[in-house]
Amino acid sequence: MIKFFKALPRLIKTAFYSLARHLAMAMTASSVVAITLTVLSLFLLLAGNIEVVTESIQQDLQIHVVLKNNVTSKKQLDQTKKAMEDIENVKKARFSSKDNELELMIKERGDAFKIYRGEKNPLSHGYFVSVKNTKEIKNTTEDIQKIKTVKDAKYGGTSVSKLVSVLEAIHKGGIIFIGLLTLLAIFLISNAIKLTIYARSNEIAIMRNVGAMNWYIKIPFMIEGMLIGLIGSIVPCLITYFGYQYIFQLFSGQLEHTMFQLIPVVPFTFKVCGIVLLGSMIVGFVGSMFATNKYLKVNR
Amino acid sequence: MIELKNVSKKYKNGVHALRDITLTIEDGEFVYIIGPTGSGKSTMIKLLDGEEVPTEGSVVVEGVNVGKLRHSKVPLYRRNIGVVFQDFRLLPKLTVFENIAFALEVIGMSKADIRHRVRKVLELVSLEDKAKSFPNELSGGQQQRATIGRAIANHPKVLIADEPTGNLDPQMSAEIMELLEKINEVEKTTILMVTHDSTIVDRFKKRTICLEEGYIVGDIMKGGYIKRD
Repeated sequence: MIKFFKALPRLIKTAFYSLARHLAMAMTASSVVAITLTVLSLFLLLAGNIEVVTESIQQDLQIHVVLKNNVTSKKQLDQTKKAMEDIENVKKARFSSKDNELELMIKERGDAFKIYRGEKNPLSHGYFVSVKNTKEIKNTTEDIQKIKTVKDAKYGGTSVSKLVSVLEAIHKGGIIFIGLLTLLAIFLISNAIKLTIYARSNEIAIMRNVGAMNWYIKIPFMIEGMLIGLIGSIVPCLITYFGYQYIFQLFSGQLEHTMFQLIPVVPFTFKVCGIVLLGSMIVGFVGSMFATNKYLKVNR
Repeated sequence: MIELKNVSKKYKNGVHALRDITLTIEDGEFVYIIGPTGSGKSTMIKLLDGEEVPTEGSVVVEGVNVGKLRHSKVPLYRRNIGVVFQDFRLLPKLTVFENIAFALEVIGMSKADIRHRVRKVLELVSLEDKAKSFPNELSGGQQQRATIGRAIANHPKVLIADEPTGNLDPQMSAEIMELLEKINEVEKTTILMVTHDSTIVDRFKKRTICLEEGYIVGDIMKGGYIKRD
């Protein structure tokens, strides 16, 4: 182990040297890595956005409960709240006073309703109820309507809940697709690295002839594989960051205020780039380990 | 000391390369192994440097049973023996200096010691001026001297040379032979040299072991190429 750490600087140096001396080979492998990772990161961006959109739609999908006009005392309100939260599918009931209801109406229907502000407010108190399972929202709404103090209960409608289930299906499919794509990336990257090592299987045999232990031969190759992965992930990362920024700016003008909002550029693209960078380095490292092992075993 | 006891080697394809070889080579000896193509010379080298495992019998070099070594321990064993190959086997992307230094790096020698030793070795094989050249910039004789330099760099007890003059003209061959003799005398290294070259064997007389179809057919202490009719 002491020997290992003593040799480590030399091994790292060897890796850099041999990368420079086999530059064409390394660049070929890196570009294979780059292409694969670009596709992967595009799908990561897409899946991330679909996930967030689905979540935001699901959050928007809540039941608006309007109470009867005479329900004003705190006791009655508490009882109503408890009655609603006793329903199994209800996650949370958020109180909305009649003033708040009016403000929402002004926002939705226009300034004409401003004249009702103050004492003249004809609305009654209400609740916003979020549910655990959006598929059951219809039944839950009906259950709420049965409560005595409730005048009316409405939710976004069947089209929205259908959209949610479609998006969920796309998201699930996307995750499976990304899984397959990741496997493909691992396969391609490790094969590209295998090729660079195959070209030098002769060198590996010579190293053993001269008395180099297996780990001593393997580690520079593994570091080299990691560097190939690192170099290969630079271009996909740049594409991810600048490309997504461009798309974000392109859509932010038109899609504002709707539920289809793209995830902000900064933490999101960094996360995707982090996954791509780390993933390709690990794959390069492990891939070259397997490849070197294979060629080590050829000769005794 | 090298000891072969009842060694036989049969390859998977059915070729019976060596048959019941028993042989002892003492420390500091200089021995030729001669014989026609296919007589088992190369197999003998491969058994000695651990590349092949004997089918029967045991190969013991400096107290190590070579055939019983684990795959991962073979390189460790090779640090005590130097091997010179006919096809040189220099690392193509390393300079002559780095090639020789590599054999010392792998055993964990310090940088300063390596530089010191490599310079000494380069002097011994007369390649001081080629230290920074890559193998493909050298002549055959120079490459062979570089491999010899690499083989002896970490003071091996045994040096195995597989037709070291095979690709060289007579003058170069003589130079290599003088170099090997120098190493044998100065470093007290046991040298085992496989060769085809009858002029060399006749000129530099040493103990000569003659192989034919896997058998030892002659072991002459005073040396000289065996003429057969």
